[in-house]
Amino acid sequence: MHEVDCRGMRCPIPIIMVAERVKEEKAGSKVVLLSDDPASWPDLQAWGRMQEHVVKQIDQVTFEITV
Amino acid sequence: MGSITASFLSEKNLHPRAQEIFLDAISRGWADPGKIHRASRELTRLLDESRQIFANHLKIAPNSIHFLGEPNLGFLLGIEGVRKYQSAASIYFPATARQEVMALVAGRNNSQSLTVDLSGAWDVPVGSLTDLLVHPTVNLETGAIAPSAEGFVGQIFVDATADPMVGLPSNWSTALWDAKCWAGPVGLGIFAIRDDSQWLNPLPHLDHRKVPGGYNPALVIAAAVALEATIADRINSEAETSRLSSLIRRFIVDEIGDVDIASPDDGVPHLLSFSFLYLDAEQLVDQMERRGFSLDSGSACISADLEPSHVLAAMGRLTHGNLRIDLSPDMTEETVVEMLTQLNAVVKELRAQ
Repeated sequence: MHEVDCRGMRCPIPIIMVAERVKEEKAGSKVVLLSDDPASWPDLQAWGRMQEHVVKQIDQVTFEITV
Repeated sequence: MGSITASFLSEKNLHPRAQEIFLDAISRGWADPGKIHRASRELTRLLDESRQIFANHLKIAPNSIHFLGEPNLGFLLGIEGVRKYQSAASIYFPATARQEVMALVAGRNNSQSLTVDLSGAWDVPVGSLTDLLVHPTVNLETGAIAPSAEGFVGQIFVDATADPMVGLPSNWSTALWDAKCWAGPVGLGIFAIRDDSQWLNPLPHLDHRKVPGGYNPALVIAAAVALEATIADRINSEAETSRLSSLIRRFIVDEIGDVDIASPDDGVPHLLSFSFLYLDAEQLVDQMERRGFSLDSGSACISADLEPSHVLAAMGRLTHGNLRIDLSPDMTEETVVEMLTQLNAVVKELRAQ
């Protein structure tokens, strides 16, 4: 499972970095995003809806994306 | 190149008709309406006429109207005045309510935030007689119109600060308008109490006054003129504004792409909010400003506290790369097309970086 560490970075960088990582992944694989930006969770959910990926919040700064 | 938008509420220009009479209103509005001098009687007559204009257009009784020098004070008067009369068992408010509402009710153990869907709608509870519902008629960011509150059995505070043309539910208790939303002057709130016997002044007070008297009568006169003029403009331009709004929606989806439109199709057409994936709103706003278009944004990088728009977040909409547009009634297709052409170029440029 690949981890994208965006702690300390502000929107839209975490979503851009996740999207770049996801492009490299096969369908069904998982990517973990680490982010402490308050916009990341709402944006990740919207991005998941738009790009048809399942997203899940694990804790305050950890999010899981199913490609 | 002119601005496509008067931007949002905080930057809306005073309507030209109100500008025309403003100096005259100031010279007439200097008397004390409480006295019996000729100038005072004349001012009282003007205020009564203004009150009647507000009553006609906002569809409320003239004697329910109170003027506020600080519009946002109306949130406290509207919510706490009802609660002081009858302690609310539960206070319901949509998650997209204005920050002023959140500041008063969020976090209280009897307050309940109502979840909103992607279109910005929420399920209105039936409630009980002692409950209070906060009912924002129109969302200031997205233009989404509130679902009907007619089935709610308790008290209702109506936040009508975003739009003067969407009516109140018949069972309203208190209501607030901000004259800025109809291109009126800054610094005038219209606060209404439907039934005086079911409201108690929550502020320290000595007499039977419902609101502090510190408002400027000249602003009342100018606001009444602006309200009449803006409603006439809006009615005349309604079809054209809807057409321009559809044109923008089609263009940003078909020609630009990767965009999340937060404004629902059935909202008020002059307000539009949309977000471009992978873009920094600050750069978008800055680049559009350089091209002559003053747009606004609800993204975190633009906000004073670096928090994303709570409205977009509650709706599940994209919060970054956000732009907000307020189409004025005199907006032309030529300006909109030019704005879209520039926007397309800016988005392509920024996405290529």
